[in-house]
Amino acid sequence: MKGLIKKDLFMLTGNWKYILICICIFGFISLDGSQMFYFIPVFICTMLFISTFSYDEYNKWDIYACTLPKGRLQVVRAKYLANLLLVGIAIVVTYALAFIIGTIQNNLDISKINELLFGCLFAVILLQSVMYPLIFKFGVEKGRIGLFVGVFGGGLLLGWLINNVSLPLSSGFIMFLTNHLIPILILAMIGMLIISYQISKHIYLKKEF
Amino acid sequence: MKQAIEMKNVVKAYDSGFRLGELNITIPSGVIVGLIGENGAGKTTMIKSLLNVIRIDQGTIRIFEQDHQQQESKIKEDIGVVLDQTFFPELLTPKEINSIMKDIYSSWDQKFFFQYLKDFSLTVDKQIRKMSKGMRKKLEIATALAHHPKLLILDEPTSGLDPVVRNEVLDLFLDFIQEEDHTILFSTHITSDLEHIADQIIFINQGKILLNQSRDELLDSYGILKCPLEQMDTIDTQDYIAYKKNRYDAEFLVTNRRAVQKKYTDSIVDPASLEDIMVFMIKGVRK
Repeated sequence: MKGLIKKDLFMLTGNWKYILICICIFGFISLDGSQMFYFIPVFICTMLFISTFSYDEYNKWDIYACTLPKGRLQVVRAKYLANLLLVGIAIVVTYALAFIIGTIQNNLDISKINELLFGCLFAVILLQSVMYPLIFKFGVEKGRIGLFVGVFGGGLLLGWLINNVSLPLSSGFIMFLTNHLIPILILAMIGMLIISYQISKHIYLKKEF
Repeated sequence: MKQAIEMKNVVKAYDSGFRLGELNITIPSGVIVGLIGENGAGKTTMIKSLLNVIRIDQGTIRIFEQDHQQQESKIKEDIGVVLDQTFFPELLTPKEINSIMKDIYSSWDQKFFFQYLKDFSLTVDKQIRKMSKGMRKKLEIATALAHHPKLLILDEPTSGLDPVVRNEVLDLFLDFIQEEDHTILFSTHITSDLEHIADQIIFINQGKILLNQSRDELLDSYGILKCPLEQMDTIDTQDYIAYKKNRYDAEFLVTNRRAVQKKYTDSIVDPASLEDIMVFMIKGVRK
């Protein structure tokens, strides 16, 4: 699996300079007090990582991967882990830059940075968890359309539920959620990743090329 | 003798109507087997079935006398693969491929890999997308050989290569087969390649095996009988398996050319090449 993680990261090595330029641009914007900077590197890394699926598809890599020992299982694991690794690196870099900029501007707010990056991590993991099974099932293009339909449809459904259904949530339950938000979100992220990985694994192990 | 590949009653059917099988093939260790057939005949489907890239609907496949699904990982450690139009993404370099593969194959031999690259005059830092077709194919072959496999499965490994490179590659396969437990399954359109190196020929058409014979036997016994059109009816139907009518003459594919030559002394019976056999069996009128 280490080999396949390397493969995905090697494919992105040509993009490091673009990532660096983006970080510099958004770092510059954030000097103005904008917090957009905190989200951008992580999302850029995730979107860039999704491009590895396109390269794989273009070169029919999946067929070749299936001829390797433990190929199928390793492909799925490697995709999840390599993306998480990349997101981890992006968070560390963003954190370091946010710290430097905050210190220079004398307005360092560690808890604010933590909140923003945590929210960013949650969004990226949600995106990855929904998108990967779709990509493994339908390919990159159809997977993107599936994601769009899913997000749009899900948003509509959620909006309709909020407006039309009054959920019997007790104030005690809401208080519990508020007090334990971080551990709940961490558990939700782990849960999403495990479920998403299992679905992707199931799809890919049965897929024919 | 140990069996390298054994396919029993293998069937794979697609919604499009194409059906591979039933295939019953046994390939012993230590031979080069040529798989021939026209486009869409089922060669790649057969290779993909062997490699478990596609799931068979029926039958059993055993490689190195082990079930190809139950022992998949173990078996694949000993298989080297060159497939048509599928390899590592083009952004990678041979050096990166080495770094990846040494973590995938327990027996990956990087010295051997770099030696191949050197022998093939390939640059280690050059991206695949910047390589010519011949260079890519050489890289694919070096990658297939660098973990010291016992079985090479090659799908069109020489297509698109110039004659010089093709000969280099064929010599490499002949070197590989020197070890007695090494086996090659080689699918190609270029039947002349197989006439040089194959021990056994499997001819597949519309998903079915039409021929599975030793190369020497085929080239020694098959022939083309030629006669004028007006004498066509004098040829006994038992003496040929397919015929072709040309403008002025007719040609018959015969399976025992010496006996046929003795019988029809006025006609010419030339030895048949693999290409002749393939063309007659696909395009000729079969009795």
